[in-house]
Amino acid sequence: VSSDFLSLESAAQSDRFSPVLRSPMERQARAAGGQFELRDGWAVAVTYSSPEKEAQTVRRAAGWADTSHLAKLELQAAPEDLHAIFSDNAFARFELGSARRTAGTWWCPLAPSRLLVVCEPARVAPVRGQLEEAISGIHSSLVEVTTAFAALTVVGPAAQEVFARFCALDLRPQVTPVGAVRPGSVARQPGIVICEGEQRFLMLFGWAVGEYVWRQVEEAATHLGGAPVGVDALAALDAPLQEVRL
Amino acid sequence: VRFTFDGRPVEGYEGDTIGSALYAAGRRTFSRSFKYHRRRGLLCCAGQCPNCIVSVDGAPGARACTEPIRDGIQVKHLNASPALEFDVMRSVDLFGGPLTPPGFYYKTFIRPRRLWPVYEKVLRHVAGLGTLPRSGRDRAWRTEYRRRHADVLVTGGGVAGLRAAVAAAELGADVVMVDEGPEPGGRALTDGGRQTVGSMREKAQAANVEVIAGASALGWFDGLVPVWQGGTLHQIRAQQHVFATGTIEQPLVFSGNDLPGVMLSGAACRLAALYAIKPGNRAVVATTSDRGLEAAISLHRRGVEIAAVADLRPTPGVHADALKKLGVEVLPGHTVVQAQGRKCVSGAILAPVGAFAHDPNAGRTFECDLVAVSGGFVPCVSLLSQAGAKTRYDSTSGYFALGDLPPGIRAAGEVAGMEDIEACSRSGTLAGLEAAHALGLGNQASRRAADELRQWVGSARERRAPVAVPPAVCGDASGKSFVCPCEDVTAKDIRLSIVEGYDSIELCKRYTTVTMGPCQGRMCELQAVRLMAQHIGRGLAEVGTTTARPPFTSVPMGVLAGPPFEPAKRSAMHARHRELRANVMWAGDWRRPYDYGDPEGEVLAVHRDAGLIDVSTLGKLLVRGPDAGEFLDRLYPNRLSNLKPGRIRYGVINSDAGRIIDDGTICRLDEETFYVTTTSSGAGAVEEWFQWWLTDWGLRAYLTDVTQGIAAVNLAGPRARKIMAEVTELDCSNDAFKYLDGRRGLVAGVPCLILRIGFVGELGYEIHCPSAYGEHLWDALLRAGAPHGLRPFGLEPQRVLRLQKLHVLVGQDTDSESTPFGAAMPWIVKLDKEEDFIGRWALERYASQPLETALVGFTLEDGQVPTEGAVVLDGAAPIGQVTSSRFSPVLQRVIGMAWVPAGHASDGARIRIADHGRTLEAQVTTKPFYDPEGEVLRS
Repeated sequence: VSSDFLSLESAAQSDRFSPVLRSPMERQARAAGGQFELRDGWAVAVTYSSPEKEAQTVRRAAGWADTSHLAKLELQAAPEDLHAIFSDNAFARFELGSARRTAGTWWCPLAPSRLLVVCEPARVAPVRGQLEEAISGIHSSLVEVTTAFAALTVVGPAAQEVFARFCALDLRPQVTPVGAVRPGSVARQPGIVICEGEQRFLMLFGWAVGEYVWRQVEEAATHLGGAPVGVDALAALDAPLQEVRL
Repeated sequence: VRFTFDGRPVEGYEGDTIGSALYAAGRRTFSRSFKYHRRRGLLCCAGQCPNCIVSVDGAPGARACTEPIRDGIQVKHLNASPALEFDVMRSVDLFGGPLTPPGFYYKTFIRPRRLWPVYEKVLRHVAGLGTLPRSGRDRAWRTEYRRRHADVLVTGGGVAGLRAAVAAAELGADVVMVDEGPEPGGRALTDGGRQTVGSMREKAQAANVEVIAGASALGWFDGLVPVWQGGTLHQIRAQQHVFATGTIEQPLVFSGNDLPGVMLSGAACRLAALYAIKPGNRAVVATTSDRGLEAAISLHRRGVEIAAVADLRPTPGVHADALKKLGVEVLPGHTVVQAQGRKCVSGAILAPVGAFAHDPNAGRTFECDLVAVSGGFVPCVSLLSQAGAKTRYDSTSGYFALGDLPPGIRAAGEVAGMEDIEACSRSGTLAGLEAAHALGLGNQASRRAADELRQWVGSARERRAPVAVPPAVCGDASGKSFVCPCEDVTAKDIRLSIVEGYDSIELCKRYTTVTMGPCQGRMCELQAVRLMAQHIGRGLAEVGTTTARPPFTSVPMGVLAGPPFEPAKRSAMHARHRELRANVMWAGDWRRPYDYGDPEGEVLAVHRDAGLIDVSTLGKLLVRGPDAGEFLDRLYPNRLSNLKPGRIRYGVINSDAGRIIDDGTICRLDEETFYVTTTSSGAGAVEEWFQWWLTDWGLRAYLTDVTQGIAAVNLAGPRARKIMAEVTELDCSNDAFKYLDGRRGLVAGVPCLILRIGFVGELGYEIHCPSAYGEHLWDALLRAGAPHGLRPFGLEPQRVLRLQKLHVLVGQDTDSESTPFGAAMPWIVKLDKEEDFIGRWALERYASQPLETALVGFTLEDGQVPTEGAVVLDGAAPIGQVTSSRFSPVLQRVIGMAWVPAGHASDGARIRIADHGRTLEAQVTTKPFYDPEGEVLRS
């Protein structure tokens, strides 16, 4: 793939250079007390206060976590090809607005000929391989767009209210159920919101507006009793992500 | 609860409003009127009128009658100086009448013209209601915008609204109910229905109805209803709407009707029922319906002596007998014609309707300290009208009633013509059921119930108690009879406006400002229409009403403005720029370093050693697919399908009319992949342009916008190659990595795309990498370059450097009329291309015609830098304009670019530039000032 300079794992550590992948919100997270660990090449905010305190915040109000490190792959192909690939991999009919999660990977149809795949960074190689196999012989475009989208996960009973402060998307459960994907305006910027679970949303937005979006979320959430949480707090949530069992 | 009013301590009880606490403390004057500065007291006690507007903790515009008290708040009066009790501007009322007729500001203060600044200062000082704190910090407060989607929005939380909300929610609808009062319940709270309201509120809570109390619906914007609640503006979008907005009790127009102590009957009852305050010791009640009689009974029960009741109807209603049994005199066919008193009411004259105008002795004077008036109850249709509902004049009731409703809109309760609580309750339930049914909810039983209710409500609408229609003015209008308490418009003013030709209600509104004050016509619209009808001799139906417009309630501008959203794009290296003390500026929607404090030094560093600039803001598009080359051939006037992988070509994007839209470079990565860069500000537009044509042409190509995903820097300067050697194992020799080559490789351990291009005119490498590595790349390059004299440089040095090369900045040096021919780039248009391309037809025409204007370079000998945009002259005639100009520290002279007539576009031609009163002589050049043959770039 000629655009392989976009593939993050091709970086090389050496005596002279130790490249670290950094989120555009790293400084905000550090200022908020984030403690970082290096995971899959990324500097990731794993906790802010303590896992117990963060879990309490998430249960009581809302927590937001910087999840920009999630890998994102964009697949474009003719609609009939794309729909077939989706069905084979996500085990569902291709339907705009409706994402599927299988084996820790979100399959998000964004347009009849455009699919966004989101997964943990450690899974990007096998998922890419899976996709490359699926598209062999068909006209398509598979591009890693991990750093085109920054991401925040907003979770907790006040999550919907947090969004309501900067976003006009209708995120009520009856309109945006678990698995729904909603492209739209977030804080007046193009974004994508995926309902990952009950009271849990993954919001993708432009990398360059990371600092701005963090501020908007922080402003909205802290006023509602929320606080930033580390990715470890997300992992320890009571309600696991809903998945299609293979 | 303790607070202060004008600095004096006041005590109240939890649950009191500012108005009730002050009234209980003996205050009767709450404000001064807008124009005449007359005393104003509580009138409606429901947040409908302007009479009790005060400032709370420095924020003007609060209505004392609905604003709850809180410990320690500082309440101040508005619009009176030096004090509320002694206001010097009252002189306008006493002596300024002839000078202040309606529209006086169109007629006076005109001559002598030189005094206008004085007039303006005085007028600005006396106009308006209240003063904002001087400092911005004191004016700022937090406002939250909250978007709420709902199945059903119920506006109005009286009995009808509560019933509607419960009915819809119990069928499974997601319901939001908003109410102006601090607690829902509406009229039932004062009419003995508190228990019923309580049980309905419990049901609403059980059915998950979201109740937003103390909140005003401000308007209707294509289905979006903004609701203001303190520091929050709820933007509610619902599929179905139920309006249960009730009615607004109307005042009567008579002489002295603005004296403190004249209040609506409902206001007197609210003071008594909600706050246990005796609104007066001795009252006169004037009414047009049973509601006034009910108010008289209620006040009597609470210890207010009722001096007399004037019922405008010839046959008083059912409660007259009860009043008589209480010893109260009821005067049928009478009304109040004058309120007497100086600071507040001390008496009132009641007279048979119509008689007092002809015979001043026809009335009887009653001593009293309270005049409770009830001029009828007008449906509150403003929001419904904004939503598209029609109204029609009902001659029996004397007001404009609701007519047809648009789809998805329902009305319930008093606004829909219901009168008693039972009828309101049932019509509310019906509206709620219908709204739920329209959403596909409900069952057979609910549909049957709705059918039964529909019949019942229909017949209830016919069973209405008799009311009298009050005259436009009660009495002879000898004194000031106020129609509009907000704007101090009297009955006389309305008459005068008609005499002056403003004889339609809309014109009259604009001329007199009636209905344009804080009450938004609640207290005055109907009275103005009645006066208009009377004076022009037409029916009210013919006169019509004014157009209902938002906001329905006066609202602070800060609430409308909302919290600031200022989306700013920042590159992955932005924090590093801040640490390097860059002067950051807006560049399109990006924040970019303008310079790092020494623009000239930065220019020289790039020229002599090396410089590093963050160019992450460039638009970056991946075009992939078997038809990608053909796609680009169709978009650009030059050929790109024959570009070899690993090579770069410059491209200009033209519109259909052959005008320059944007420019950038195109690097072919492999047979099917092109990496296209655009200008920073044009990225979004170019992406849309590409997407549009891609969809239209249906080619086998795919577009991915990676603008934000890729960070980019330009390493430029004679030592750039040496610095590259420190951070990459790529062979960067000129033989291996030529000018306009593109290579992929690791730079500082990071996967990168390196383009050998040179916008700034020096040997340069544009290095692109995933944004998450941007900071690492920047740090590594600066570290490696430090021994070589590498310095970061900003936008301003970049502009100087590119100007030396006469590199065009699209948008700066071009405008919507510029073509590649005029912009000195005829070489980029390949009319011999076989394929059609955007703008070909127009470019062929331009090519066949002589050039009219051309973009050229110029130098100035006297060292003065002309302003960008300065005019190029031929004699005194303007013939062109300067687009860019700078002093070049490299060339030690002023250089620039300008559009000039083609006849002047030759080396050595002289042009004159007019700029801010000076005329500058310049010499034209058509070749770059620096490295004209491009040897440095290719070196």
